[in-house]
Amino acid sequence: MLEIKDLHAGVDGNEIVKGISLSINKGEIHAIMGPNGSGKSTLAKILSGHPAYETTGGTITFEGKDLLEMDAEERSIAGIFMGFQYPVEVPGVNNAEFLRMAHNARRVSAGEEEIDPLDFDELLSEKMKMLGMEKKYKERNLNDGFSGGEKKKNEILQMAILEPKLSILDETDSGLDIDALRIVAEGVNKLRSENNALILITHYQRLLDYIKPDFVHVLSKGKIIKSGDKELALELESQGYDWVTSAN
Amino acid sequence: MSDTIAEPTEETAFLELHKKFIAANKPDPALLPVQEAALSRFETLGFPHSKHEMYTFVNTKNLAATPFAVSNPSSSIPEKIISDHTCSGSETSCMVFVNGVFSASLSSLKAIESSVKISTGIDNEDADRIIATLKNENDVFACLANAFCTEATVIEISDNTQVPVPVQVLFVSTGGTSAPSMHSPRLVWKVGELAEVKVIEKNVGAQAGYFNNSAQDWMIAEGAGVVLTQVQSDPFETWNFSKTRVNLKRNARFHSANSSTGSVLVRHHFEGRLEEEGAELILNGVSVLGGKEQVHNFVRIHHEAPQCASRQHFKNVINDEGRSSFDGTVIVNQGAQLTSSDQLINNLMLSNNGHADNKPNLMIFADDVKCTHGATIGQIDEEQMFYLQTRGLTKKAAKELLTKGFAESIIQTIQFPEVVAELNNTLLKKLETKNV
Repeated sequence: MLEIKDLHAGVDGNEIVKGISLSINKGEIHAIMGPNGSGKSTLAKILSGHPAYETTGGTITFEGKDLLEMDAEERSIAGIFMGFQYPVEVPGVNNAEFLRMAHNARRVSAGEEEIDPLDFDELLSEKMKMLGMEKKYKERNLNDGFSGGEKKKNEILQMAILEPKLSILDETDSGLDIDALRIVAEGVNKLRSENNALILITHYQRLLDYIKPDFVHVLSKGKIIKSGDKELALELESQGYDWVTSAN
Repeated sequence: MSDTIAEPTEETAFLELHKKFIAANKPDPALLPVQEAALSRFETLGFPHSKHEMYTFVNTKNLAATPFAVSNPSSSIPEKIISDHTCSGSETSCMVFVNGVFSASLSSLKAIESSVKISTGIDNEDADRIIATLKNENDVFACLANAFCTEATVIEISDNTQVPVPVQVLFVSTGGTSAPSMHSPRLVWKVGELAEVKVIEKNVGAQAGYFNNSAQDWMIAEGAGVVLTQVQSDPFETWNFSKTRVNLKRNARFHSANSSTGSVLVRHHFEGRLEEEGAELILNGVSVLGGKEQVHNFVRIHHEAPQCASRQHFKNVINDEGRSSFDGTVIVNQGAQLTSSDQLINNLMLSNNGHADNKPNLMIFADDVKCTHGATIGQIDEEQMFYLQTRGLTKKAAKELLTKGFAESIIQTIQFPEVVAELNNTLLKKLETKNV
């Protein structure tokens, strides 16, 4: 589904990602872990098409297409979803209206008709119920004045509405208390299927208690220095990042 | 006697025009002392130039260079213009003014026959009151509006009356004459104790080429409430100035939302006086500017009594070479304790050639008050754009959504769906211009 080959990338002329290669198939969950400044978020930004981040080498293909040639909205339409570490507040834009626009953008590009507003409301209510979200989220403006936990829940709601093929969740667990973390993780688990894939970018192991990864990759200084299964995350938790970074 | 011929000045041009106006319109004789006082004040003040503090941000050169003609109030207007601009709910409560003069035949007033008294003439008491205000009037164009009004329309809502439907005031300017015509609707609103009324005022033009310079007084008695929505949607080649004077008694409320879509120059002057305890004044405004359109808001709010509240929030969307300016001062008099006042101006710049000037001021002479003021100028937030794009919205759709979102907090205060729809359409149309 996603093939990253020898990716080099950075921002403002500083190379942060220094040669990452990664292959992700349908149905897989990959966790990317690493200390602060290791390049985790840069990788997420590059995958989602942030205009300020620049690729200086390597290739990324998504379902055979050159991802780096696609704009952010084209990537979304193609089925990539980015769950932001810090979801942006957009005052004045109603959450439900925005979600309907996003849902319709995908439908229209697939040659389908826009969804009837009442049908969408039903779909939205169903997804919100699944995530244990109160109705007030429909009325509120997009992330405006939301607490950290509410913002992250709203990201997962967007993921549920957009039904992406590949989701990249950038530090979705950061800033969440344990109850909010459990709800967000349960939501993500409900959205899993054999046909979609997930990249979890996280600093802490605790998210992986709730969402079980198939692969764990440790990123340090812009490179994947170790890959393994979920046991690797547990070892990292008990021994700290120094354990792998000093060995490399 | 000097044999030198004086260079014609802007003042003499307007004084000459006034002579023609008197000859052509034969205004209500009761208004003559008002007009004399207004003209005399105009001569004292002189025509404003950019160095005049009140006009720092307003380019009046173009206006001064335009030779205006006197409007003909009996000009015919396309029938459709009235039906097109009548808001739903006001079909039988619509007062139509053609070139500044109330037209009973074009107005439909059945729904408000028993609740609103409309007369086209002022009594001596009104005349004396207006003359007294003119003595301290520093706005040259407000003086001209009083000097050039053919008649004053007095609208009275008696005590304890709730007007059942929104009252619409439709100012139609015919335009299209060889020289732009100038006219001045003059309205005096008297809202009785505990009365309630909602008013939608709309400024439209059949063709371009006019200067609509209106003056309105709102006298709001104890406990009364007014919701005013002002909509300016003139064609581009026009000037639209307004002076709105609001006097609020004990516990009276005046909530207004102003929407301007710009022309050569639109200028709104609000003067609010919170005269007695518990009065509340809200002024909201939204301007959507493209091309070379300009809107200027000039606000003076006087807190004259304790426990009063005033809120101002203006938002401007500026594209192309649009220009927005705001000059507002809140004056809290000595003794006006526990005043609560906010003033905020937000500008969204969509082009590199747009212009926004803001001058929020506070003058506080009391020591136990809560007053805020501020202004912001910004562009579309790139991170917000990116966020929306990652959800599949095109750059264009994201920009539209963010621009609408910016104006939303003001637009949502407008209670007329047609006005909201029109404003949103204008906003989208102006976004379609070269900068997107």
